[in-house]
Amino acid sequence: MDALVSKYAHSSASPLDSSEGFSQAGFDAAQQFALPMFDIPMVSNPIDFLRAHTDPSAENRIRIQHGTTTLAFKFQGGIVVAVDSRASGGSYIASQTVKKVIEINPYLLGTMAGGAADCQYWERELGRRCRLYELRNKERISVAAASKILSNMVYDYKGMGLSMGTMITGWDKTGPALYYVDSDGSRLKGERFSVGSGSTFAYGVLDTGYDFDMSVDDAIALGKRSIYHACHRDAYSGGSVNVFHVKESGWEFKGNFDFDKLHWDYQAQPKGQIV
Amino acid sequence: METLFGITGKDFVIAAYDTKAVASITMMKIGEDKSRNLNDHSVMLYSGEPGDGVHFAEYIERNVKLNGIRHGLEMSPKAVASFARRELADSLRSRKPYSVNLLIAGYDVKKDTPALYWMDHLASSAEVPFAAHGYGAYYCLSMMDRYHRPDITEEEGIKLLKMCINELRTRMILNMPDFVAKVVTKEGIRVVQL
Amino acid sequence: MMSTVPSELPVTAPIEHRFDPYVDNGGTLLSIAGKDFCVVAADTRLSEGYSIHTRYVPKSVKLSDKTVISMGGCYADCLTLTKRIQQNMEASLVAPMWYRHAHGKTMSTAAIAQMLSIMLYQKRFFPFYSWCILGGLDEEGRGAVYTYDPVGSYEREACRCAGSASSLIQPFLDNQINFKNQASERRELSLDQVLRITKDSFTSATERDIYTGDYLEIFVITSNGVELQKMGLKKD
Repeated sequence: MDALVSKYAHSSASPLDSSEGFSQAGFDAAQQFALPMFDIPMVSNPIDFLRAHTDPSAENRIRIQHGTTTLAFKFQGGIVVAVDSRASGGSYIASQTVKKVIEINPYLLGTMAGGAADCQYWERELGRRCRLYELRNKERISVAAASKILSNMVYDYKGMGLSMGTMITGWDKTGPALYYVDSDGSRLKGERFSVGSGSTFAYGVLDTGYDFDMSVDDAIALGKRSIYHACHRDAYSGGSVNVFHVKESGWEFKGNFDFDKLHWDYQAQPKGQIV
Repeated sequence: METLFGITGKDFVIAAYDTKAVASITMMKIGEDKSRNLNDHSVMLYSGEPGDGVHFAEYIERNVKLNGIRHGLEMSPKAVASFARRELADSLRSRKPYSVNLLIAGYDVKKDTPALYWMDHLASSAEVPFAAHGYGAYYCLSMMDRYHRPDITEEEGIKLLKMCINELRTRMILNMPDFVAKVVTKEGIRVVQL
Repeated sequence: MMSTVPSELPVTAPIEHRFDPYVDNGGTLLSIAGKDFCVVAADTRLSEGYSIHTRYVPKSVKLSDKTVISMGGCYADCLTLTKRIQQNMEASLVAPMWYRHAHGKTMSTAAIAQMLSIMLYQKRFFPFYSWCILGGLDEEGRGAVYTYDPVGSYEREACRCAGSASSLIQPFLDNQINFKNQASERRELSLDQVLRITKDSFTSATERDIYTGDYLEIFVITSNGVELQKMGLKKD
């Protein structure tokens, strides 16, 4: 019993009711969000509650933005990351200008597929943790470790309705690295991934046009074209294509390409060679 | 559908897994490691719910290693299997159960015998001479019944495994690209590319 | 693990009543960013199903001399969320100290924008049924519009319409503000032009959307501060 009392006596869980809050001493920004806290409805099964209110059949449905094509692949010159920019809530196009490549820090990129908020929030949290790692260890975190942090964080919420399919890319001591991480808890190291509703279409073009020894320009063109074809066939993908190149010095933004313009550019070109 | 195999012999166990990683209809990766070496003489293969396998296996792996460090003694395959079963069974009765099928292949150095444990996602555990998980089991268990002997050599074991994989490739509608086998003997664990 | 709680009461199973804390109160909101100004507008009708509860209820709130928040969806959630934002601007979530009192300044538009995202995500498993648009001026004095989904994904844009008539107005804005599918190149619009587009958007939406109407409140944010204009819309 005493142990229980003392446990709560030293608790500083509530930031506002303690007078300590005003003194700088004892405040540790790193500890402040050590464990994110979320509000949970006071019902016997919060998971069913959320599902009922985000279900397409719900009367007042909370529409969470969805739908995407994203891809990333390793090649001789590093990694190319290409994504579309459409967000849809049901059949309504909520935005055509979404940034689906999340710049975690100058040498780590994350992509966004599934719930937009889930990806944005957890990759921002990942960025914070990577920065803390850097300050504590005086060296940059490896992509393997960063992706494992993300995977572990979302695995804790498995089955609670998070939806996230992301690729974490970057360049560390081991060279270029690419990981696929999703909200099921999967974490795969790989050479070539595509995620989202249009991924099958993107894979088709990407797999057939891929060559590890291709030039940087060719790789960027392939990434762009793969996303273009996915946008053309998948109604949930579209808007524009954003392309990034990951190099030893960090990532570089390679431009935003409007889908409509790409379409007429490609129409003017001959069809690809069947090899 | 993921497939795991295990075959014991006179002085070895072979444990094999397919290397596919699948997300709905897409094959995300070929070459995924679905095994964890728990200590020098036991290996765990896992399949089932994505994410759960890696998490559970790494949890068991670290605890088995910790136990080894604490006591300066290696846990026997039987001890490892009992521990894994207990953890899985307890997890099933918690708010968030793991959903994983397991094979634990090991070599009991003290008794000088190979050991293979089959465990399903409900934590049924049995020591068996050979085992399979997944749809592959429907084709291959009969083959193992037909061809397996307790005294087969490692060479014969690998041959039997290859027969099983071949059968899957001819009869199963889902293609099985490649398998990796781990062989556990008195000397330790080694990987065999098939 | 198993433990029994001593109780005089006979053992009963917990009874759970239907818990449906959401309702769509309609309403439309819009925000457009200019070179050195920002316009935030919203109608004032509060409805539920086929009945109109009241004709004048403000959906936008001035947060600072540089920032205005506008919300639609479940009005109860909007009220709570607005109040929480105002509280946090005084007492910040970021540290156990009061933002304004600790830092001696009001939160910038970008800081409020990031904070709102976190606040919405904090309720990821029990979301606020609200569409938020944050309008204001950024640190360089340029117009800024931040838009949110109910669980906190956000994006800075040039213009955005949300709420019940969003699917009527947004395509019009794409055409008039972003010059989508137009021969002419995109150019900066003056405050006058933006206000005209805003008013036309709402008068037109009122004609076709039953949840939009009564009055229009327009907040104009410039370096001189926030000015509120009011305008009548059709009342049927």
